[in-house]
Amino acid sequence: MLQVKMLAEKVRLVAVPADKFKTGCISVSMALPMDEKMAANSLLIYLLKRSCKRYPDFSLLAGKLDELYGAVLGASVAKNGESQTLTLSITSLADKFALTDESIASESAQLLADLLFEPNCENGMFNAEALAMEKRLLIQRIEEEMDDKRTYAFKKCVSFMCKDEPYGKSKYGTVEEIEAVTEKDVYEAWQNMLSTAVIQITVVGSADVNRICEAFECRFRSVERNPVQIETVFVQDGGELQRYEEKFNVNQGKLVIGFRAGMDHRRDNLFAITVMNDIFGMGTYSKLFTNVREKLSLAYYCWSRLVPGKGIVLVESGIDTDKEKAVTDEVMFQLSELINGKTDPEVLESSKRALKEKYTFTSPEGIQNWYASQVTCDDILTPEDMINGFEGVTMEQVCTAASKLSLDTVFMLSAEEGNDEN
Amino acid sequence: MKIEVITNEKLGEKVYVYKHSSGLEVRVLPKEGYDSAYAVFGTKYGSIDTSVKNADGEFETIPEGTAHFLEHKLFESEDLNAFERFAATGASANAYTSFEKTAYLFKGSENIESSLEILLDFVQNPYFTARTVEKEQGIIGQEIRMYQDSPDWQVMFNLLRALYEKHPVRIDIAGTQESIARIDADLLYRLYETFYNPANMVLCVVGAVKPQRVFDIVEKNIKNSSGNPAERNFEKESGAPVQNYVEEALPVAHRQFMLGFKEELETPLLTLEEEIASQIMLDAVAGKASPLFKKLLDEELIDMSFGSELFNGFGFSCVMLGGSSADPKKTAKIIADEFERVNKEGINPEAFERSKRKLYGRYVMMYNDIDDTANLLMNLYFNGYAPFAELEACKGITHEKAQNRASKILSSNAALSVIKPIS
Repeated sequence: MLQVKMLAEKVRLVAVPADKFKTGCISVSMALPMDEKMAANSLLIYLLKRSCKRYPDFSLLAGKLDELYGAVLGASVAKNGESQTLTLSITSLADKFALTDESIASESAQLLADLLFEPNCENGMFNAEALAMEKRLLIQRIEEEMDDKRTYAFKKCVSFMCKDEPYGKSKYGTVEEIEAVTEKDVYEAWQNMLSTAVIQITVVGSADVNRICEAFECRFRSVERNPVQIETVFVQDGGELQRYEEKFNVNQGKLVIGFRAGMDHRRDNLFAITVMNDIFGMGTYSKLFTNVREKLSLAYYCWSRLVPGKGIVLVESGIDTDKEKAVTDEVMFQLSELINGKTDPEVLESSKRALKEKYTFTSPEGIQNWYASQVTCDDILTPEDMINGFEGVTMEQVCTAASKLSLDTVFMLSAEEGNDEN
Repeated sequence: MKIEVITNEKLGEKVYVYKHSSGLEVRVLPKEGYDSAYAVFGTKYGSIDTSVKNADGEFETIPEGTAHFLEHKLFESEDLNAFERFAATGASANAYTSFEKTAYLFKGSENIESSLEILLDFVQNPYFTARTVEKEQGIIGQEIRMYQDSPDWQVMFNLLRALYEKHPVRIDIAGTQESIARIDADLLYRLYETFYNPANMVLCVVGAVKPQRVFDIVEKNIKNSSGNPAERNFEKESGAPVQNYVEEALPVAHRQFMLGFKEELETPLLTLEEEIASQIMLDAVAGKASPLFKKLLDEELIDMSFGSELFNGFGFSCVMLGGSSADPKKTAKIIADEFERVNKEGINPEAFERSKRKLYGRYVMMYNDIDDTANLLMNLYFNGYAPFAELEACKGITHEKAQNRASKILSSNAALSVIKPIS
C-alpha cells in the first residue's frame, strides 16, 4: 500500500512496496522554476549521473552498475507544468536474485544518495573536463531534436503557442546559456537544488523503504531547506489563431494543432477532460482514429495528447503536405461532432474501460512515473482515484469539456516542393 | 490433455506448456499479484519471408511487405473489426511485424477470457476485399513515408543493403509504395493459408490467468488443421559485404553512423548460447564501462547514444555498432582496430565477468513486465527453445565461448553506413 512520509520541508517520500516485481526502483525528482538557471540545472543532473566522490570517473561508475547486475541509472530533465523537473533514478535487481550473498538494493540506494550528495567536486567547483564534455553532449542533444520530425514538430508547436509563457522555453535552457555555464555555476546550481527544489523520492518494488528513508533523511539533515513555490500560468482561451510553417526536405509532413483546454489548474475538471481527449483522439474507437485514419486513409497516425500540467491539447498527424487543409478540416469537424453529442454512448463506455486499463500499471516503471509526475502536487492521486473519477464522467460533461477546447496555434512541418511525390 | 510444467526455482516462475492437436504450442506463465494479463499470438512469418513454397514444391517470389500488409488487414472483418470488439472488453490490442514474425497481442485486466477468445478468433478469420485492400494502401503508404524520414531506420537499412546481397533482411519491413501496390485480396488469402496455420504459430499468455482456463479456451477456439510449419529457404551468403561504405543525406543535425560486421553462416541459425556469448562479448568490448567507449567519448567521436548489438535470424547474423559521430570513418577504424586487438590479446577477464553478471541481471529483469515475458517466450519457441533456456545458457557462457564469438568479427567483412546532414 501507498506510504507517504515527509523527510524534510517539501521533501516527500512516496513508496509503493511490492515484492511481486523482480526489481526495486528509486527515483528522486526535483522541481525548480523555469528561470535563467535552467541551463546550469540541466548540466548539473547529467554531471551527477556521471560520477561521484566514490566513483570519480565515468567508466568506474559504469563498471559498478554492471557489477550490480546491470543496475540502470537514469537522469532526465522534463517540463512538469512550468517547472523544470530534474530526476535521478536507479533500478536494480531484487536481492533474492543475486548469485552471491550481497544486498543489491541497499548498495543501489547508497549509490543514488552518493551521486546526489557527494558529487565529484573540489574547491566549490565541478571538474572542468567533465563539464566540457557534458556541455558538448547536451548541446548535441538539443541540436539533434530536429532529427525526429514528429517530436520536433510537437515541440515547435508548443514553443510557438506558449511563446509568452515560461512553458514555451526549451526544457534544457538555450545553447547560448549552456555554453556560458561555468564550473562554479553548476556547483551553485547543485547547492540551490538541494536547498530550494520541491523534492519527491519515489520508491517502487522490493526495496526496503525504511532503509531508504533513513539513508535520505540523514543526508537532508545537513541541508538548509528554503523550498520555492512553483506556479504555472494557465491560459484558458486560444485567442486569434496563429499558423507557423517550416520546410524540410522530407517525405512526410507533420501537422500539429494546438488547443487550450480551458483549465485553470492541473486538476481542473481533469476527469472529464481526460475522457474527452481519449474519445477525441486517443483510442482506436476515437474520432480521429476512426475517421482520419480508418475512413479517409489520410494518415498512419492522428492522435490528440492532453498535457494537464499546462492545460493544453495537441493533435498530431503525419500527412502529405498538400493534405493539410483536408486533415485540419476533418479534425475540426470531428471536434464539432464531439461538442454536439454525436458520439455513440458505447464509445464513452469503451473509453472508460480503456482508461481504466491505462491506469492499471503492470510495471514498476509505470507506477513510479505516475507518482513521480506529482512531485509538485500537494495531495497525491492514486491510479484508483483516477479510475473512480473517470467512472463518474457523463456524456454531457464530455461535450462541455470539448466545447472548452479553443484553437490556438497550428504548426506545419512541410515537405519542400518537388519532394512530395503525390 | 498433456500439460508440461517447466519451473525455474531461482526466478520463482513456472511456465505451463500445452501442445494442441493442430500443432499450436501454448505457453502460459501465471503471475501472482498481477491484475493484468498480456497475450501474444504469433506466426513465424516476417518480412524475410519473400518467397513461399507453392504446390509444386518450388519457392515462388511474393511482393515485399506482404507480411506487414496482412498484419494490418487481419484486424478487419465483415462486421465489427477487431478493434471494435476489443473496445467492449477494454483490452488494448495491437500487432507488429518484424523480420521473422508477425504478432497479435492484447493487454487487459478485465474480461481477459473474452479478450483471448477475440484474439484467437480474429487471427483465424481473415476477411479481405478489393476495397479494404485499397484503403490500407493509403495508410501503409504513410507509414512507409514516416520511416523514410527516420534517420535511425535509414542508417540501419542502408547498412543491411550494404552487407547483404541477396538475403531479404535487406528489404524494408513494410515494403515499398510500388511493392504494396501489387498486393491484392487473392494473394493475401493464399499467403494466409500458408503461414497462418496453427502448426506455424504460438500463443503465449502471461499474468493474471489460470493456465487450465487458457488451455480450455484454446481447445474450444482453435480450428484443427493438417498444416505444417512453413519452410524457409536457406541460401548461403559469403561474409563479404556488397559495399564497404554507403551514405545518405537527410535533414539531420549531425552525422550518424552504423558499422556492421557480417558473419558467414554455415547453418541458418546461431545457437542461443552463441547469441548470448556475443552479447556478453560486445558489452565487455564496447559497453559503457569499456576502454573503447571511454576513448571514443574522450576524443569527442561519439555521444551517449553509442551502442552495439548482435543482429541475427534465419540466414543472417551481424554485429552492429552505431550512434552519432563527428567523424564516422575515424570512429569505425578505432572500433575495428579494437576488435583486432581483442582477437589477438583476448577479452579482459574482469570485463567479461562484469558483463556476464549484467546480462544475467537484465534477463531476470525481463520477467518484471508481462509484455516482455510473453514476447520472450514466443521468441524462444520460434527458435526452438524451452522457457528459461536463456537464463541457463547465460550461466554457462565461458570466457572461451565469448572469445570465440569475437573471432567472427572481421574487418574484411565490415560495412559502414552514414547519414549526413544536407549541406
